[in-house]
Amino acid sequence: MDSLRAQQNLTSSPNSLTVSEQRELEQRLQKRQVKEFMSLFGNLVDNCFTACVDDFTSKALSGREGGCIQRCVAKSMTTQTRLSERFAELNQAMTAEMQNKRF
Amino acid sequence: MFGFGARAPTSAEKVAAVENELKVVAEMHTRMVKICSLKCVDKTYREGELSKGEAVCLDRCAAKFFEAHAKISDHLQQQSAQQGGGFGM
Repeated sequence: MDSLRAQQNLTSSPNSLTVSEQRELEQRLQKRQVKEFMSLFGNLVDNCFTACVDDFTSKALSGREGGCIQRCVAKSMTTQTRLSERFAELNQAMTAEMQNKRF
Repeated sequence: MFGFGARAPTSAEKVAAVENELKVVAEMHTRMVKICSLKCVDKTYREGELSKGEAVCLDRCAAKFFEAHAKISDHLQQQSAQQGGGFGM
C-alpha cells in the first residue's frame, strides 16, 4: 500500500488533512495493511495446498509435495512483486491520463 | 469526488474519503494479481521461478487488464449518460 500511496494522485487530497487527520489515516492504513497481509497469507496457503497436495495415504507431506509447496511460494511471491511493479506503472499512467481528460 | 452536500466534510469524512480511494485501488490490484496469475502461471509448479514466457504473459496481462478496465468504465459512463444521470468513475 505504501507504493500505491506514493504515486497516487488522489482527488480527495490528503494534503488538505490536518496533522491529526493524517495520523488517523496512517493508523487506518496500517490496520488495512495488516489485514491485507493476513489475507495474502491465507490465499497463498489455500492456493499452494490445493495445487500441490493430493496424496492422503499419509498424514505427513511427502517430499514431492513439500518441494512443490516451496516452489509454489517462491513463484507466487515473484509473481506478486512483478505484477505490483506493472500495476504501479500502469496506474500512474492511467491516473495521469484521467487528469488530462479533466482539463 | 462525490460531493458532501452543502456543509463542509467532517474530519472523519475526509479521512474516510482518502482511505476509500486507496481501498478501491488496492482491490483492483488484488483482483489483477489473482486473475493474471490464473491466466499466466503454470499451476503444476514444476519450477520455483517464473519462466520468461510466464513473465512476459504477466506483463501483457496487466496492461490488458488496465485497458479493459478503462474501456468498460467508458462504456458504462456512456450508457448512464444516455439514460440520464452520471455514474462517475
